[in-house]
Amino acid sequence: MKAAAEVNSMNLLDINTVKRKEKSKQKLVILSFMFMALFVYTLFILYPIISTFIYSFYDWNGIETNRAFVGFANYSELFSDPTFWQSLTNNFYLVGVSVFVQIPLGLMMALVLNSNIKGQKLLNVIFFLPYLMSTVAVGLLWVFMFDPTNGPINKTLNSFGIESVTWLAGSPSALIAILIVMAWQFAPFYMILFKAALVGIPEELYEAAGMDGANDIQKFFYVTLPSLIPILISSSVLAIVGSLKTFDLFYVMSGSGAGTSTAILGTFMYEETFVNFRMGYGSTIAAMMFIIALICVVIIQVIDSIQKRKRGLS
Amino acid sequence: MKSLKAIMAFVMVLGVFLLAACGQEKTSTSKEESSSKGSDEKITLNLWHFDPGKREEVYFKAIERFEKEHPNVTVKPLLIPNDKYKQRLVVAMAGKNAPDVFASWGGGYLQEFADSDKLVDLTDKDIDYSRFVDVALENSKFGDKVYGLPLGISTYQFYYNKEIFEKNGIEVPKTYNELLESIDVLKKAGLYPIALANQPQWPGAFYLMYLADRIGGEDVFKSAYNREGGSFADSTYVKAGEMIQDLVDREAFNPGFNGLPYDAGAARQMIYTGKAAMMLMTSGFVNNVRDEFPEFEKKMGVFQFPALEDGKGDSTNISAGISPVWSISKSSKQQELSVELINELTSVETGTAYADMSGTPVAIKGVEPKDEYVKTFTEWINAANSIQFPYDQTLAPELAQLHKETTFKLFGKTMTPKEAAEAMEKKAAELEKK
Repeated sequence: MKAAAEVNSMNLLDINTVKRKEKSKQKLVILSFMFMALFVYTLFILYPIISTFIYSFYDWNGIETNRAFVGFANYSELFSDPTFWQSLTNNFYLVGVSVFVQIPLGLMMALVLNSNIKGQKLLNVIFFLPYLMSTVAVGLLWVFMFDPTNGPINKTLNSFGIESVTWLAGSPSALIAILIVMAWQFAPFYMILFKAALVGIPEELYEAAGMDGANDIQKFFYVTLPSLIPILISSSVLAIVGSLKTFDLFYVMSGSGAGTSTAILGTFMYEETFVNFRMGYGSTIAAMMFIIALICVVIIQVIDSIQKRKRGLS
Repeated sequence: MKSLKAIMAFVMVLGVFLLAACGQEKTSTSKEESSSKGSDEKITLNLWHFDPGKREEVYFKAIERFEKEHPNVTVKPLLIPNDKYKQRLVVAMAGKNAPDVFASWGGGYLQEFADSDKLVDLTDKDIDYSRFVDVALENSKFGDKVYGLPLGISTYQFYYNKEIFEKNGIEVPKTYNELLESIDVLKKAGLYPIALANQPQWPGAFYLMYLADRIGGEDVFKSAYNREGGSFADSTYVKAGEMIQDLVDREAFNPGFNGLPYDAGAARQMIYTGKAAMMLMTSGFVNNVRDEFPEFEKKMGVFQFPALEDGKGDSTNISAGISPVWSISKSSKQQELSVELINELTSVETGTAYADMSGTPVAIKGVEPKDEYVKTFTEWINAANSIQFPYDQTLAPELAQLHKETTFKLFGKTMTPKEAAEAMEKKAAELEKK
């Protein structure tokens, strides 16, 4: 008996080493499959990010071969630069609009499409159209819409007896105008996400709720909304990161003028880097944008995991 | 799993370092290859510019002539629109993919490249400098060295609608007071006296530039720019700012001008349709009219920025921008051929075609313009006591940007003339120290 047990354990050991060998072989196979993707990821994502951080410690005009290492001087300049704070504030307005206007708007549109309303297919196309247009075209289109003398928006206001607004020239009005366009253009993106998620909610849940006597509003708050929380969270992440990075719409609609009321981090960075020849300082702005976006995403993820634990999902 | 992650991380970090190493190696090796001249070897020259339409056609013709003389050489022209041009050029010049020949606006922008040792010094090359208008050459001369050859001189003047002027009994204003009077008359007639699309900030900057010149003369800018006792906080600039805000208060411009992009055409439309009577614009506007609304040319007239009764400035002084300025990048392996190419791009033949086709005078002597507008503009240039190049092209990029921004804010009345002038001086002093 003893001998047999020994043989058994020997066998077991053997199996373990074989398994381990197989595992490491597997790893190699996995790696070889991932190599191309990793290489591309390194080349186009990691390398630029790291070089941005490296450049941010230099005083460099972007073309010279020698650049001077200045440590954190760019960062301390950035924190005392009023343009940075104004741009950051504007970016946070943008985040606010993205999260609290675009996402609810997208949800509303998705709900409309999910109901049995007439002309659903047509509405689907109409709702989704703005997102299909290129941002430059959208920007120019709305510049004409907001035209102070001939623009349809002012003409409409006039017909209600309201005086013309010089939309893109005024101080808060320019920002508001661009934010309106932003919401108009990107709400359909969230609509698509919510539409897909709404289809995935099992019908039984609604039936069960109906049996318990829930009305439509209660069904929405106790069935639909909780089922959508994962999508709401990933939408928020996308909205926050997207609105911190945004550049094109502001550039088209208001020019790149830093220090003006519509400056955002994206245009501020562009101007410092390519117009003012300050690659080092521009990289510092880019690095800060990255850090801010990262912090925002981490906060959301932490809140999400706390929520999940509370609800006992993990 | 942990070790897999570790390996992945290692591969990525290794990749980053490899890439970083690659980037550095390249800069050190490729300089040794030198130019090979006169052989039958196939050679390609890259040329970057930012002018679409008629101007591009003129360059194509010049390139054709050059290629006929050098059968083994192909020139590859690349048109990059204005906005992206600066960005692409900065990136290209920093790396090893710089074009052999490229266009710019000279001034502070080009000087950045010259200071970074990225340009070929053209001073002692085989170029006949006597064919250029002297002042125009100054725009690409830094410390007695020439870094670029000018082709066009775009003058800035008022365009006006003759019909509207006649109807309202207005004569072409010779003095600033007459201009103000005509503004009031046009205002009463329910028109926008002056069209302005100031979102890109340079159209408004023309006013500051001209007003400062008329108030204090050309030396105010020169001494402030060269830091020879002058100052951007000079009373001349404060006064110019006040006069701009006076124009805004008189409602001389269409409403919402600070939000209108120029290229999209809203301001030009107002001129074409007769809603606005005047516009201060570059020579390029003649070209726009011919492309966009040829019927307007019959009604169109031009006049110089009026004289200021109590100003020190000479009323023949004119503001004008030089563009394009052709330069050669130091990384070019075909520098001698490139010199020949830019010689062709600024030849009398090219100049004549440019003047006739683009409605813009040229910086080349011996060109007889046929176009009526070009003739007028050329006369003004020849009669001018001094030519003021636009601040935003002359000043160092950072100061140029601030100049446009502060002037934009003057127009928007979110900054007082004094604040604007002081902000400029502060920045100028700061940059001087560097």
